[in-house]
Amino acid sequence: MKKILPYLLLAPMILIMGVLVFYPIIATFSYSLKKWQLTAPGDIHFIGLQNYSAVLTSGSFWYSFQNTLFLLVIVVLLATVSGFLLSAFLNVDTKYSGCLLAIAILPWALPPYVNGILWKFVFSSGYGFMNKAAIRLNLISQPIEWLNSRWSLLLIVSLVVTWRSIPFTAIVCLAGRQAIPGRLYEAARIDGGNARTIFCTVTLPLMLPFLAIGITAASVTAINVFDEIIALSGYGDLGKNLLVESYLTTFSFMNFGKGSAVTYLVMLFGGILGVFYLKSLNQEENIL
Amino acid sequence: MKKRIISVLLILSVTAAAAGCGKKPADGTDKDSSGGASQEGTGSGGHDGKEEDSITFMAPDWAIPTDDQLQAFTDETGIQVMVNEVGWDDIRDKMITASAGGNAAADVVEVDWSWVGEFYAAGWLEPLEVSDETRADIPTLETFTKDGKILAIPYANDYRLSYYNTKQYEDAEITQEPQTWDEVYQNCKTLKEKGICEYPFALPLNAEEKTSTYLMWLAYTMNGIVFNDDGTLNKDSVLAALRYEEQLIRDELVDPADKTSSGMDTYKRILSGSANFLTGPTSFVSKSTSEEDCSVIGEIAPILVPGKEAKATVTMALPEALGITRFSKNKEAADKFIKWYTSAGMQEELNETNTAIPTRNAVLKKLIDDGRIQNAGAMMEQAEFIASPFPDGVPAYYAQMSNAMYNAIHKMALGEMTAEEAYAEMDSKISDLTP
Repeated sequence: MKKILPYLLLAPMILIMGVLVFYPIIATFSYSLKKWQLTAPGDIHFIGLQNYSAVLTSGSFWYSFQNTLFLLVIVVLLATVSGFLLSAFLNVDTKYSGCLLAIAILPWALPPYVNGILWKFVFSSGYGFMNKAAIRLNLISQPIEWLNSRWSLLLIVSLVVTWRSIPFTAIVCLAGRQAIPGRLYEAARIDGGNARTIFCTVTLPLMLPFLAIGITAASVTAINVFDEIIALSGYGDLGKNLLVESYLTTFSFMNFGKGSAVTYLVMLFGGILGVFYLKSLNQEENIL
Repeated sequence: MKKRIISVLLILSVTAAAAGCGKKPADGTDKDSSGGASQEGTGSGGHDGKEEDSITFMAPDWAIPTDDQLQAFTDETGIQVMVNEVGWDDIRDKMITASAGGNAAADVVEVDWSWVGEFYAAGWLEPLEVSDETRADIPTLETFTKDGKILAIPYANDYRLSYYNTKQYEDAEITQEPQTWDEVYQNCKTLKEKGICEYPFALPLNAEEKTSTYLMWLAYTMNGIVFNDDGTLNKDSVLAALRYEEQLIRDELVDPADKTSSGMDTYKRILSGSANFLTGPTSFVSKSTSEEDCSVIGEIAPILVPGKEAKATVTMALPEALGITRFSKNKEAADKFIKWYTSAGMQEELNETNTAIPTRNAVLKKLIDDGRIQNAGAMMEQAEFIASPFPDGVPAYYAQMSNAMYNAIHKMALGEMTAEEAYAEMDSKISDLTP
């Protein structure tokens, strides 16, 4: 009984992982090895890695990959820096701290699609708040078409996603800051440390594991951006990322085989990033 | 090591078990086919537990009958209707995921004109029997007919009709409504030059479905053809339409915001007077008289769509219909519901309760004659010209084709491509899709 008990206790988690994680992974992989176009139900058969080959040689996939990378870099960079800075403000103990924290969390609570719609009103070419404000301030005479070029669209999507991601990073960083014992700062000050050296030798190193969590979360969010892109630019080519590519292939074009291959590649990409972050995190913990 | 091996084996066995549970018969003979949809039903008609006496109905909000209407159907037939109100965009996704697994998303489902080709190819729709009288009275049935089989019955009529702002024409001293696309262009230029309307032409240019369909009916009404018999694009016709759009963009007759606005927002410009001319949905007949929607009531006239030398002799329909999913367990009851829903009496009622434009010409004529559809203009006359631009029905690859079209048009609108380049891009993609 003693030998079985640990496995029995693990069974619920294994069941959940098996059904919700491992089964979809295996099933999606098996789909990706088939020619499976829903509009040709009589022609579903195994084709090996042909779907992967077709995806990896298509310009559309690499275009979407570039867009995904752009979003990833900008979102991670902005969310981490902003979240880190915001946590410093939130860490200041005032009678408004609770209220400020609640306000800071607000963007995190917004559904992504609503978030996208909200920002579309800001950046809309004709009636957008940004254009109206700039025209009123005599900064421009004609409205700027913010969403009509690839890079400005992606930058706006990045800002919108960052806006949604900052609260989580800030809260994780705030937890990190508050976990640093006050005596360490005291000791550093006695040793003659100034604000800069204390930050570099105490705050930053001790916050690295928390930053790693924030970076991982921001990365996952950046790879999985979907709603904001759809809300801001629809299903067009201009701003599509790998997730939109996967959705279009699988559901719009009903190609489950090829769509599964795209999905699998997105998963691998996310997985590689995850492993990289976890390894870095472990290294940091070992150093500490 | 032993523990790890046991853990891995456990995970694998659970995964394999789950895989076994999830497997559905590929031929769609799953006996528990309506389960998924029934759970989602809002139960507006109630459910007595006897599946043969109840059906599920999945449709967008504008297609949902009132509780009283549903109760009347139940009283008449003994069939309960479980309503599943779903956003229009989501219906296709739900249909795909359910049908791919051999399940029925619902017994009766919304079928948009653009989905019918792919649903037919996938074998997800049950052919329907329709009387000769209905066949003659609903011209848009042609859109839902593939290989002689009627796959869905249209309930909401939507065909392309043109609208223009008469007051702006008067202000610009243009005396006659436009007969040809060239006249539309010239009149728009005049309106702009005289400072009456800055962006007179409402033209969807965002990367979305309405941009593709606009090009289709522009080419169709301009030249009477869009696709060749083999399904490829007709170069002369489509390129001419693209050049026309390019000219409108170049002469700044189209609002730059139309490149990023939704197609519907672009159409709505005519309701505020910021656009003078629109070829768009028939629903704008009622919108143009609604104080809630329109700020230029009395100034918008629905007219026959212009053509190349005179008024066009064809127009494209984009109707919505109801069909029965192949995996439905209650096909007979579903069929009764569709027949009831699309009957002449119900079309009259649904026009009143849901502002649905009838698909039956007889009902449409009656409503216009009775004055229940106001400011109808050329609506009835235009209905006689409904035809399909697809030589062999809507193709199974329509979604991909439309995607290729709207992306190329959008690039042209952004100045990244000329009309010729946009045509070449869409033609190459569509040629790859055609069998």
